[in-house]
Formats: sequence, C-alpha cells, structure tokens
Amino acid sequence: MTFPAVQALDDVSLTFEAGEVHGVVGENGAGKSTLMRILAGLQFPTSGEVHLNGRPERLGSVRGALEHGIAMIHQELNLVDELDVAENVFLGREITRRGVLDRRSMIAETQALLEEVKAPFGPTARVGSLSIAGKQLVEIAKALAVDAAILIMDEPTAVLSAPEAEALFGLIQRLRDKGVTVLYISHRLPEVLDLCDRISVLRDGKLVASFEPRNEPVDAQTLASSMVGRPMSDMFPAKSVPPSGEPILMVDRASVDGFAEEVSFILRPGEVLGFAGLVGAGRTELAEALFGARPLRSGSIEIAGESVTIRDPSQAMRHGLAYVSEDRKGIGLILSLSCVQNVTLANLRAYCRPVLSSTREQEATARWKSELDIRAGDLDAPVLYLSGGNQQKISLAKWLETDPKILILDEPTRGVDVGAKRELYALIRSLTARGMACIVISSELPEIIGLCDRAIVLREGRAVGEVSGETMTEEAIMRLAAGVEAAA
Amino acid sequence: MLVAFVLLFLMAAIRFPDSFLHADNLRNLLSQNAYVGIIAIGMTFVIISGGIDLSVGSLVALCGAVTVLTVNKAAESGMVLMVALAAALAAGAVAGFANGAVIAFGRVAPFVVTLAGLAGFRSIALVLGQGGEIRSTVRSFGDFGYDGLPIPGLTNIGGKPVILYWSTLAFLLVALLGGFLLNKTRYGRYVIAVGANEKAARYSGIDTRWVKVWTYTLLGGLVGLAAFFNSARMNSVGTGSVGLYYELDAIAAVVIGGTSLAGGKGRIWGTVVGVLLLTLIGMLLNLWRVDPNWQGAVRGAVILIAVLLQRTTKPEN
Repeated sequence: MTFPAVQALDDVSLTFEAGEVHGVVGENGAGKSTLMRILAGLQFPTSGEVHLNGRPERLGSVRGALEHGIAMIHQELNLVDELDVAENVFLGREITRRGVLDRRSMIAETQALLEEVKAPFGPTARVGSLSIAGKQLVEIAKALAVDAAILIMDEPTAVLSAPEAEALFGLIQRLRDKGVTVLYISHRLPEVLDLCDRISVLRDGKLVASFEPRNEPVDAQTLASSMVGRPMSDMFPAKSVPPSGEPILMVDRASVDGFAEEVSFILRPGEVLGFAGLVGAGRTELAEALFGARPLRSGSIEIAGESVTIRDPSQAMRHGLAYVSEDRKGIGLILSLSCVQNVTLANLRAYCRPVLSSTREQEATARWKSELDIRAGDLDAPVLYLSGGNQQKISLAKWLETDPKILILDEPTRGVDVGAKRELYALIRSLTARGMACIVISSELPEIIGLCDRAIVLREGRAVGEVSGETMTEEAIMRLAAGVEAAA
Repeated sequence: MLVAFVLLFLMAAIRFPDSFLHADNLRNLLSQNAYVGIIAIGMTFVIISGGIDLSVGSLVALCGAVTVLTVNKAAESGMVLMVALAAALAAGAVAGFANGAVIAFGRVAPFVVTLAGLAGFRSIALVLGQGGEIRSTVRSFGDFGYDGLPIPGLTNIGGKPVILYWSTLAFLLVALLGGFLLNKTRYGRYVIAVGANEKAARYSGIDTRWVKVWTYTLLGGLVGLAAFFNSARMNSVGTGSVGLYYELDAIAAVVIGGTSLAGGKGRIWGTVVGVLLLTLIGMLLNLWRVDPNWQGAVRGAVILIAVLLQRTTKPEN
C-alpha cells in the first residue's frame, strides 16, 4: 500500500509459524501498522500476497480475515460500551433460534471463553463498566470465539498497569501453547524481549533485522539500535543540578472526588517532577484538576507565591499552566484541523488584531516545525495523517506557544517511537534549563527515573512517597505504587 | 456543487433562452430565496459548531410580528425603518440567545431545545397576531420591500431598470461578512474547533459554552433581519404561515453546500451555492411546468444526491 508520497511498506516478506509469539517492532511510521492492517483485511497490498497454510489467500475485508482465522485486537478497543460482555462477544454473529436471539446459549458460551482468559467478570457485565484491561480480555474472548488461529495485538500493554500486563503475558503464553500464533506489536522493548519467540524489526517500510531471543540473547539496546538504524547513545539527557529556587507551584492537600485525596507537593523552576504510579492511581485526574479541567474538591494552590483559584483551563493558562494530555487524539489535538490551526489554537489571541493573520500563523508553525523537528509535509493538512511522535510534537508546540511557566506532560511518550522519545526527553531538559518547571506523568519507570529530578508516587489517589537521586529505583517506585511494604 | 449549479444554469439558458436568460429572471434567482439565504448563513455557523436550529421558521413569524407591531407603533416617527429593524434584530437575537443559553448552560441537545422553539415561537407569534395576519399601516414600510439599487444598464420588458432589492444585497453582504467571520476571526476558528472536538477545544482554554451561545444569537439576529425584509415585502405578517419550512430549506442549503452535519467543517460560499441551486431547481421545475406537487420530491432527491456525491469524494479516514 502506498500512501501519498510515502511508501508505507516496501517489499517485506515475513513468515509466521503456528504457535509462536512473533514480535514486530519499529519506530512509528516504520510500517508495522500497515503490515498488520493488511493481515487483518483492513487494507490491500499494492503488490505481494498473503499465504495461509501454504496457500495464497485474498483476505479482502475484516470479515474475510476473520473467516481465515485472523483476528486483530486494536489499540483503540472496538467494543460497544452500552452492551454487555456476551452481546459484544457475539456482535454481528448472534446465535438465534427461529429468528429470536438465543441469549442463554450466548451467555453460556461467553462464560466458557471468559474462564479461558481468566476474566474476573461475568458475561452479563456491561462493557462500559469494565477497566481497559477488562475490555481487552473481552476483545480476546471475542477473537477466541471465532477460533482465531492468528491473533494480532497492537500495543496491548500501552494502557495496562504492571500487574495487568503480567496477567496478559500469562494469557498470551497459554494461547501460544494451544497453537495460536500471536503477532505482538509494542514499543516496550523489554517486554517484547521477554515474551516473543521471534522478533522482526521494520524500518522505513523494510524488514531490517530479525532476532530469536530464545536461541541467542539480545538486549534492548541492540534492538533499539536496529530500529533507529544507528547506535543508541544514552536515551536520557544529563540531569541538572537540583534546583533550589523559590517554588513556582505549591499544592497543599488537593483532593479530587473519586481520584485524589489530600495530595501535597511543591515544584521549583527548572525542575522535572515525576508523577509515578499505576494506571488508575489518579495522576491524570489530579493534573486535570490543577489545570481546571475538572473540579478540585478541596486544597489550595499557590503559583509563584500567590494563592490562586482555577476553575477552567483558560484561568489555568493565565497563571502560566499548560497541560499536554495523554489522550492526544481525544483532547490534545483536533485531528480534523491542520497543523497550523492546532499549533495556534491555545494562543489564537496573539494572532489577531483583530483579523486573524494566517501569514503569522504559518510563520509560527514553521518555526516550531524546525525547532521541534516535526516531520510534516504540508502544515495545512489535517494532523490526523501524522505519526504519533509528530502529533505529540504538534501538541507540545501548541502548549509551548502559550509560553507556560509550568508544563504538565501526561504520558508524553505514549505511542511515540524510540527516536522521537529521545528528542522529547532532550527537549524537556532544554525547556527546564531555561527555567520552565515540568511535571511528567509516566507509567514507564525508566522514563521517570531517567528524566525526572524527583518523583512522587501515587497509589489510589494518595501520595504515598517521594523518591529522588539514589532512592529513585524501579524497585522502590514499584513497592510504593503497588503498596508492598517489603521487597518481594 | 458549483459544477452542478453551472451545468443546470447552462442547461436552463439553452433550453429557455428567452424566459430564463431574462434580466428580471436572473435577478429573481438571487432574490427569491434571499430570506432563506440570510438564515442559511447563520445556520452554517450553528451546524459547524456541531448544533442545529429547528426554530428559525417559527422565529421568522415571531420577529415578523414584532417588526410589524413596531412599525405601526412608530408610524409617526421619521425613523420607522430604523426602529423596526432594531426591533427585529433584537427579537431574533434574544430568542437565539435563549436557545443558546439553554443548549450551552442547561446542556440540553440542540435538537430538543430548538424543537421547543419551533413550537413556542410560532405560538407567541400567533398570540401577537390573534391567530392571523398583522397588517402594517405604514405604506413606506411596504415600499421599502420593493426598493433597492437599480442595476446599471439592465432593463426589463417594460423598459424600467431592474432593481436589486435591499434584501438581496443584505443576503450577499451577510454572506461576505459571514465568510470573513468564519475564516478570518478568532470567533470563527473557535466555532470550528468546538464543532470538531468540543473537549479538546475546552482543554485549549476556549470557553465553549459562550462560543455556542453567541453562535445561536448570531443566527437569531440573522433570522430577525430576514423577517424584517420579509414583512416589508408583504407589508404585513401572516403569523400562521410565514417562514413555514424555512428551517428545512436553510438546513438543506447548508448540507448541499458541503458543510458536515457532524460539525467541525464547512464553508459559507458552499451555502450560498446551495441556496442558489435550490432556487434554480425550483425555477426550472416551473419552466418545465412540473406539477407543483412533485417539487418537494425533486428537492428531497437533490439533497440526497448532493450529500451522496460529497461522501464519495471524501478520502477514507
């Protein structure tokens, strides 16, 4: 398939064995998703063919792929929240008896599937009430219901907490032992190395390397180097001297209904403060409340020594706050608008006197494009068509436009490839070197440890500890985040 | 759609060279639906913002009633037109503001709020008109409805200059200003942002509720303007019949013009072409002497075809 101006996949040949977990890694835009879309019947190859059990097959559509036993678990889960689990599992293939839905059989079959994936909920639970991990199990059950022989998983752990991810790995191994082939796409290299029997590396639409970690051990550095095409020097920029100036932000006993209880912390100019914790610990909600996007029940906020009340994002912006959301597609950007329109959206006031000057908008966007090395052909094209890393840079540019004093970055590198990650880390450090204060919310421990000067750990809405310097280790953070008193 | 319009126009010109290509007739192409046109420009903003307004037809009746009552009250003053215009704009803007406030602050679906307006505004108009027509007692008001700018060099069969009515000029002016407002001001960009992704707009520091309120207020004001011209033309207002189905005509013009009903994108010139296309089709059907009972079916088909054509030209995702 060729996209405008870019060949997404270029003459790639891959073999997948029955009963293996096959990792597919590569930077964003390397062609992973295109490859998977072809296998899942969502897209046609412009040349080449797919052989199943040695026979060439035309997959044609999602339904066609499913009939050949290929099922895909998407990054964005495709379930209907309003329906229950059984209804979702049988969506489109309902069992009927004389034209009437046979609920009893569907529930019984779903029950058996849920037991197989060890789901902690029943077939009549409403899907909307499940956690993301739960929804993922429903998706897998749905695939098993059609006896899928090949299961494609696109970044399944991106939204899972560590224990949930562990449970998923167990399930994947059980499926493999039953003879299911799992195609596993992930940016998290350590888990790919642990889980996969074979790993194929794509770069610029070509297959550049393949590894068999079971036979010859590989480390994450080697894998990352082959993805980027150059040796990876240190991922993280050097930390600065611990800042000691007057705090720019002081939060005292902030509570958000249902999400955060009496969290206090301070932030100094030039500092990178991490918010660590499991998914669901209340980090995002706390950040949103500081930014005025959801109500703060109690607690006080001081910015630059002055007590402030923030009721909506525009007030937060006036106090020099900026919040780069973890939900790039839903909140951070407006996908149908162009790069230019997104970049200037939060600071549009600066571009009208009172007529909008599109020339100045263009100039500013072009400046960010070169400063942040945004790879976008046409700045007037919708941001929809950019890769994850470039979308993230646009989202960042939009907030840097507002010239914030305090920048909150929520999962800044989720779905971003290794190369762009490294650039983002360097950028964050260069911003703090200029006196900006940053809060980084991250579920990736290496990111917290490598990037942040200090980190507070949240568990179930409470700040349960703070780590910095020597005390900032994966083990210490996990122990706090999971609530384990002593080392396991 | 522009292509469709040009093709139909040429077809009409070739088939009916005398009656269609007549100066009066061409003027009518612009003027016949000027009222709906003025409303459709406002409707374009509302639809781009992700909303809809079903109450505009009834609001034409209410604003018309207010206009004519004001005209009759202010008969003595020399400023009767100005006072009436102000009253019409104010009545429309207040009603639009009320729609917008309930939608934005009461968080009720626009469809429901303006459906209530559709019922309610007409009813208030009927009360004001005691169930029927309100006649203006001021002749100059009625004369104004037929007044306008003579088009230089163009005369009709009787040798009199062809006049471009004030309402037609207002439609063209509103379209120009609307295009400017949508594409060249902060407010316009915010309307697009709110329609495309309200949550993202809110997180960007945009007060999405006020953007919506002002958008419905803008449409309300334009409805008032349309009602002012319409009642001047009639020199009266039929509270039970005026503006019937204007909401459907306005929405149809917007949709034919390529504005997405899902919100977030649209264009003013498309709406203008939509209005002209609907008018042109109406004229052609008359020239062809098509049974008027069939005209609704043709209009319906045109709307569907226009939307289907625009779907297929969109790229996949």
